[in-house]
Amino acid sequence: MKTYYLMLLMVGGFISANADPIDKMTRDTVLLQTVVVTGTRTPKILGNSPISTRVITADEIKKIDATHIGELLQQEIPGIEFSYSMNQQVSLNMQGFGGSSVLFLQDGERMAGETLDNVDYYRLNLDNVERIEIVKGAASSLYGSNAVGGVINIISKKSSKAWSANANVRFGAYGEQRYGVSAGINSGHINNMANVQHTDVDEIKLKHSGDYSKIFANRTWNFKDRLIYTYNDKLNLTARAGYFFRECDMLAEAKNRYRDFCGGLKGNYTFTRKDNLELAYAFDQYDKSDYVVKNHNDIRDYSNVQHSARVLFNHTFDKDKTLSVGGDVMRDYLMSYQFTDNGNKTQYTYDAFAQIDAQLTSKLDVIAGLRYDYYSKAKSNRLSTKLGLMYKLGLVNLRMAYSGGFRAPTLKEMYMNFNMANIFMIYGNEKLKSETSDNFSLSADYRRQNYDFELTGFYNLVSNRITTAWNQSLKGMKYINMADMKVAGINANVSARYACGLRARMSYAYTYEHIKSGEPLVSATRPHTATMRIEYDRKWKNYGFCLSLSGRYLSRVTADEYTSYTSYETTEKKTYTDYSIWKLSLLQRVCHGIDVTMAVDNLFNYVPGYYYNNSPTTRGTVFSAGVSIDIDELIR
Amino acid sequence: MTDMKYTRILNITLLSGVMFFLVSCNGLFDDIYDGANSQDDTRYGFINRDVQTSSGTVYVNASSYSKWIFLDFHTLTIDSTEVADSVKEPAQWDIAIHHYDARTNSGQVIETASTDIDGVVSSKEYSDSVFTKDIWTTDNIIVDLSQMIYGKFKYADSYYNAVLSRWLRVDTRTMPPSYSMSGRVYVIRMKDGTCAAVKLDNYMNTAGVKGYLTIYYIYPLDV
Repeated sequence: MKTYYLMLLMVGGFISANADPIDKMTRDTVLLQTVVVTGTRTPKILGNSPISTRVITADEIKKIDATHIGELLQQEIPGIEFSYSMNQQVSLNMQGFGGSSVLFLQDGERMAGETLDNVDYYRLNLDNVERIEIVKGAASSLYGSNAVGGVINIISKKSSKAWSANANVRFGAYGEQRYGVSAGINSGHINNMANVQHTDVDEIKLKHSGDYSKIFANRTWNFKDRLIYTYNDKLNLTARAGYFFRECDMLAEAKNRYRDFCGGLKGNYTFTRKDNLELAYAFDQYDKSDYVVKNHNDIRDYSNVQHSARVLFNHTFDKDKTLSVGGDVMRDYLMSYQFTDNGNKTQYTYDAFAQIDAQLTSKLDVIAGLRYDYYSKAKSNRLSTKLGLMYKLGLVNLRMAYSGGFRAPTLKEMYMNFNMANIFMIYGNEKLKSETSDNFSLSADYRRQNYDFELTGFYNLVSNRITTAWNQSLKGMKYINMADMKVAGINANVSARYACGLRARMSYAYTYEHIKSGEPLVSATRPHTATMRIEYDRKWKNYGFCLSLSGRYLSRVTADEYTSYTSYETTEKKTYTDYSIWKLSLLQRVCHGIDVTMAVDNLFNYVPGYYYNNSPTTRGTVFSAGVSIDIDELIR
Repeated sequence: MTDMKYTRILNITLLSGVMFFLVSCNGLFDDIYDGANSQDDTRYGFINRDVQTSSGTVYVNASSYSKWIFLDFHTLTIDSTEVADSVKEPAQWDIAIHHYDARTNSGQVIETASTDIDGVVSSKEYSDSVFTKDIWTTDNIIVDLSQMIYGKFKYADSYYNAVLSRWLRVDTRTMPPSYSMSGRVYVIRMKDGTCAAVKLDNYMNTAGVKGYLTIYYIYPLDV
């Protein structure tokens, strides 16, 4: 670590004084002025948002050069860990909350389908992303179910130029290939952005024994298009469509396939400068099928189809107070191999919400929200509330919030009747209660000259968390509600930036979980995690570069593990070792519009002695290289 | 382009979009998938027999861990019993299959180097010494997988032919288990001296569900 820091400083000392580091400083200032939407569902300047929001910008995404959302989030946000579960499905732990308790949105819209505990993360194509907004903590008063532990919103780029075109390619170890093409037009009434991305990676045989011995080969295709038609100053309409395809080579004789078809229409009408109305319709269909190589049969055994409609009305009064009211209706259809005879179930959900965001004084901002949700199959209703305060004390912003979160039982959890490879049966439970969370958070951030400090403490009282447990009378697993538990923690962030182009950031997360005595704590949440990044960024007229070193550290954790799947009476302690992974990357900006990226991942050649499901899936140090060409910039 | 033209295009686009999605409550593009059931899936036993070449296909539902499936090449019939009911074995049978395990009725087996069953025309090229008899086993015939996640299994005591069982290797050291077929042709010498050539062609049904064996065979082999 010291060696690299010194190296960066030395490189900085030899760089010409003609370089333009001001651009870097400006970008940091601009970041605070970024308009974010996730915390309040209305556009809000990041620095003034009463809801603490972490933004990963397009510039950061480019520098990190990740293909998978998990790689990006783990590298930037401490407390986030992506692991493998059964059949190498990806699962998430975000400071004590599993993937099903973290709501992922694409441009504010929910996504259909699930792999094991959340959406298919491979759908979250990072090409052509404007920014990612991360709000930790419950947010069900705005988003309803699943927003228990946080919300992650991926915002797509709009075309800001008359026309734009980008082509990019990256090659990595184990046959990893990534190709992307984007094309945008912004002319008169029309703004359209289209993107295609293809990824491919070979099977990776792991070095040592473990819970799995190889990573299956995988390939994806991802198409998306968004058309915005601005009819006049008052009315604009947005239409979007997308197609996703993934194929995973689980066996030589059969491949798992995943497809998604999505589309949506949205109209936004501004009555006056104070009032606007949004009407939206969204369609999302996520399918799973097994492709039998021998007879070319492609048999679908899972389909989740969601239709949803939304109305949202915003009214601004007294200059700086915004009232938002709205509601959604959703039809959720699920056909699954995990239901009896590949059956299907349909559920309707209805909700209504209201939120007021008011700047009471020049120093005090208050946000309060209320939302009612009803689930037809679960016959569950839930009232979620939120109250947030932001107080500006000189250069310090103080934020305090209470927010309620809930997760209604899914159709799968209520109606599953599944033979798990002749090992055991898994049964649904129609009497499941909604999982709920009361989230309290207190944060302070301080920004002065070159430095930012941010400290957040949070406390969650989690009730009725949904899990599976052995049921002796059924001789199988059954979905149940767990005993109450508490999840608390601290997030700290320090960042520094200098006019010479040097920038550093360190983030730390501490998580503490507690369940009442006698109950097993089977989640393997690592108590201490940290991410670090130091970069040196310089730019001249026709050349620029950014050399960065980033790393993440995850502490060891000891979790309870049942000694038998068919008896939940005894547990044993299982310890997962700590590790850190580092990445050195060099982004070079050649001419105008050509970016060349080279990266050495797993710089210090970490290889797990045993591959647990939560171990990094690495065989050691790997190299990758890629080129991104902004064709419009090159021609101009 | 005038606003009117824009409006017309937009109206058509929006209307098409709304119609496209709203008429499909339970989803789109059903036609891109194949049906789960085909005729082959319901026809178990000796099928597709070619009298002239004495060859054919056996299709077996061996998905249960609690059953032995008995194949009789002499009469081209199959039968099954529960693993626990070993006394109820059929009077006449040649090989028995438990999931992917195999045994013979006092026969012997050799794994050939050939992957083409039509390329194996005689058992006479193999000496008696390279044929392998069944062995008594206590740790191969899995009947209870409930502890599989911990690498523990409950086994039934039985005879077992280690060579013929090589037709499919199942590695349960990891979850999910990995499967690999040998692709080889096996020659079985029955207790009456007649021979059969068999090759495991597939261990899944047309829908990709494991435990359904498609076996190519030639019987009698030496004619």
